[in-house]
Amino acid sequence: MPAIVVAAVVGVLFWLGYRYYSVYLAERVYNLDPAYVTPAHRFTDGVDFVPTNKHVVFGHHFTSVAGAAPIVGPAIAVFWGWGPALAWIVLGTIFAAGVHDFGSLAVSVRHDAKSIGTLAKDVISTRARTLFLLIIFFLLTLVNAVFAVVIGNLFVSNPGAVIPIFVEIPLAIFIGQYIYRTRSAALVPSIVGVIGLYLLIWVGQQWPIDITPFADAIGVDNPRNVWVVILFAYTFFAARLPVWLLLQPRDYINSHQLFIALGIIGLGMLVGWNTIVAPIVNDVPAGSPAIFPFLFITIACGAISGFHSLVSSGTTAKQIDKETDGRYVGYMGAVGEGSLATGAVLAATAGVVATRGEWDGLYADFSTASAGGVGNFVGGVAAFANNLGIPLDLAAVFAAVVVISFAATTMDTGVRLQRYVVQEIAEIAGWHTLARNLTLAGIVAVVVPLAMALLPGGGDAGYTFGVLWQLFGTTNQLTAGLALSVVAVWVTQKGRNPISVIVPLVFLLVMTSWALIVNLKNFIEADQWVLAPLDAIIFVLAMWLIVEAALALRGSAGRRTPDVDRTGPTTDGVSVPSDQRE
Amino acid sequence: MSHHQVVLVRPWTDARGGTGCCGGEPSSGICLEHRVGGEHGPDADALAVAHAYRRLREQVDDVDVQIVGANNTVFLLPAVFRAARRRVGTLAALGSAVRATTAGAVLVDGSRVGDIAALGPDGVVAAVCRATGR
Repeated sequence: MPAIVVAAVVGVLFWLGYRYYSVYLAERVYNLDPAYVTPAHRFTDGVDFVPTNKHVVFGHHFTSVAGAAPIVGPAIAVFWGWGPALAWIVLGTIFAAGVHDFGSLAVSVRHDAKSIGTLAKDVISTRARTLFLLIIFFLLTLVNAVFAVVIGNLFVSNPGAVIPIFVEIPLAIFIGQYIYRTRSAALVPSIVGVIGLYLLIWVGQQWPIDITPFADAIGVDNPRNVWVVILFAYTFFAARLPVWLLLQPRDYINSHQLFIALGIIGLGMLVGWNTIVAPIVNDVPAGSPAIFPFLFITIACGAISGFHSLVSSGTTAKQIDKETDGRYVGYMGAVGEGSLATGAVLAATAGVVATRGEWDGLYADFSTASAGGVGNFVGGVAAFANNLGIPLDLAAVFAAVVVISFAATTMDTGVRLQRYVVQEIAEIAGWHTLARNLTLAGIVAVVVPLAMALLPGGGDAGYTFGVLWQLFGTTNQLTAGLALSVVAVWVTQKGRNPISVIVPLVFLLVMTSWALIVNLKNFIEADQWVLAPLDAIIFVLAMWLIVEAALALRGSAGRRTPDVDRTGPTTDGVSVPSDQRE
Repeated sequence: MSHHQVVLVRPWTDARGGTGCCGGEPSSGICLEHRVGGEHGPDADALAVAHAYRRLREQVDDVDVQIVGANNTVFLLPAVFRAARRRVGTLAALGSAVRATTAGAVLVDGSRVGDIAALGPDGVVAAVCRATGR
C-alpha cells in the first residue's frame, strides 16, 4: 500500500478525533467554560502567568512535547508489523493521549495552574507526590540513558554526522551571541545557522570521524560506549549554561530542521510513491517479546506519553487565555506527536528498503530490530529525500543529524531537569547537602544514567537496547497513569462520567504491570542483575500507583463536590457559582 | 473585539522554548515545589517585559497584547505579515515579518515601534498610544 495513502487515512482519523471526540471531552467530561477566569488572568504577572493567544500557546506547547522519542519507539515496534504499530498510535492518540494531555491541562487550569506533581498531592494524597517524584527520577534517568545510546549508535553508524553535530554547538552559541549583542532579527541568522549546518554535513561526509581505533586503543570493546561517556561529560557542563546561551539558539536551528524534515518526508513520499514493504502483522520468531503487552510500552511517546502532563500542567496552563482553548492546545499537541510517530512508522516500513526480503533482514529478531530501529528511520527518511534528488549518502547524514540534534537537546534538558528532581527528593529525604549543592545534584543526574548505559550487559553482548527502551516506556506510561488518576479522581469528584479517562488508565496500568512481571522473570532467568532490581523497583512503584489510584477513586465516588472550584469570577468580573450557571 | 494587536517579543535572555518529548521546557522546574536550585527567578529582561505588559493592560484599552518568543516563527511570521500587508503591501510586509523576530521588539499591528528595554514600561505605553493614534 502506498505510504502517502496510509498517511492521508491517519490524518483523516486524527481530524475526526479532534472534531468529535475532543468536543465530547470538552463539553461532557471536562466541562469547559469560556467564561471561567483562568489562572493566566487571575495571577497575571507578565512573566509566567500571561493570557496568551491559543496559537502562540500551541507553538510553545508543541515544541515542548514533540521530539525524538516518538521516532524511536515506532521505528522499533514495526517489528510486530506496521498494522499493530499504527493502530496503537492512532487509537492511543485519539482515546488515550488526547484524553491525558487535554485532561492534565484542564485539571491544572482548574487548580491555579499547579503542576501535576502538586496536584497528585492535592487530589490524591501526599504519598502520591513522593511516588510521582520517584517515577520522574527513573523516567529522566532512562530518558538520558536511552538517548545517549541512540546518539552513540548513530555516531558509530554515521561517522559523517560527528563534525556537524559537534560544530553545531559553537555555531549555535555564536549565532545566539550575534542576535543578543547586535539586537538584530533572529530569523535570518538562524537560517544562516541551518545552512551552515548543512554545509557541515558535506564536510562531515568528506571527513567522517570513526572512533573505533581510539576505542580499541583504550581497550573499550564497544565504540558506542566511548561516545556515551563523551556525551554525558558534555551534558554535565552544558546543563550548567544559561538556557539562552546554547539551548535556545540550537532549538531555533532545530525548529527549522523539524519543518525541513517533515517537508522532505511528506513530499518525498508523494513524489516517490513509496509502498509499504513490511507485513501488516509480522510473523515474529519464537521467543520474541509478545505483542501484548510489549507493543504498548515500546511505543509510549507517539501513542501516549506521561511526560506531556508535566508540560501541560507546569507551563502551558499558566498561559491559557480561555478555558476552552485547552481543547485545541492539549488535544492537538497529542495529535501532533501522533503524526510524528506515523511518519516514523512509514519511514521504517516504506522508505528504508524496497523489498519484503530486505525488510525481513532488518527486522529479523527483536534484538536486531531494537538495535537498528533508529537507523532504519534514518535510512527511510534518506530514501524519501533521495526521491527529491538529494544524493542518498548525503541524505542519510542529514537524517542522522536531525535525529541526533533532537536527542541531544532532550539530553541537555533531561540532565538539567534531573538535577532539580534530585534536589527535590533530597529535600524531602532531609539530605540537605545534596539538596543545596547543584554540582553534586548534577553529578548524580549524570552518573546514574551513565552507569545504566554502560554497566555490564549494556553492550551488544548483553541486554538489547530494546529492553532498556521498554523500561523507559514503562516509566513514561506510569507517569501517564498517575496523571490520568488525578484527572479521573477530579472528574469523578465533579459528578461527571469518568469512563473516558478510566479506560485508558486501566489499559495502561495492566499493560505496564504485565510487561514488568514478564521482564522481571526474564531478567532473573538471564542473570541480568542490573535490570532485574530496576524492573522490580519500577514494578513496586506501579503497584503503589494502582493502590493509590484505586483508593482515591473509591474515596472520590462517595465524596462528590460539583464544581465548587468554578465559583471564581467570570470574565465580566461577576462572581457566579457554577451550579447556577449550568 | 480588539482593534489593534500589540506583540511584545521576549528578550533573548528570557529564553523559553521546548526541547521535545521527553525534555520539555528547560527554563522551568516542571514538577517541583521547593525549587531549591535557586536559579529560577526571572532576570531583569524578563521583568522589563512584565512591567511593560502590566502597564499596557492597565493603561491602554482596546488592544490585544501578546508576549511571544522570538523563536516562535510559526506565529510571528504569518501574524505580522497579515497585519502589515494591509498597510504596506506584500514586499514590505515580508520585511516587517522578518524584523518581527527581533528579540525585545515592540510590534503594533505588524510594525516595529521600538525596543522594550530601550523604551522602558512608560515608553512602551507611549509608543503603542502613538502607533494606534491615541
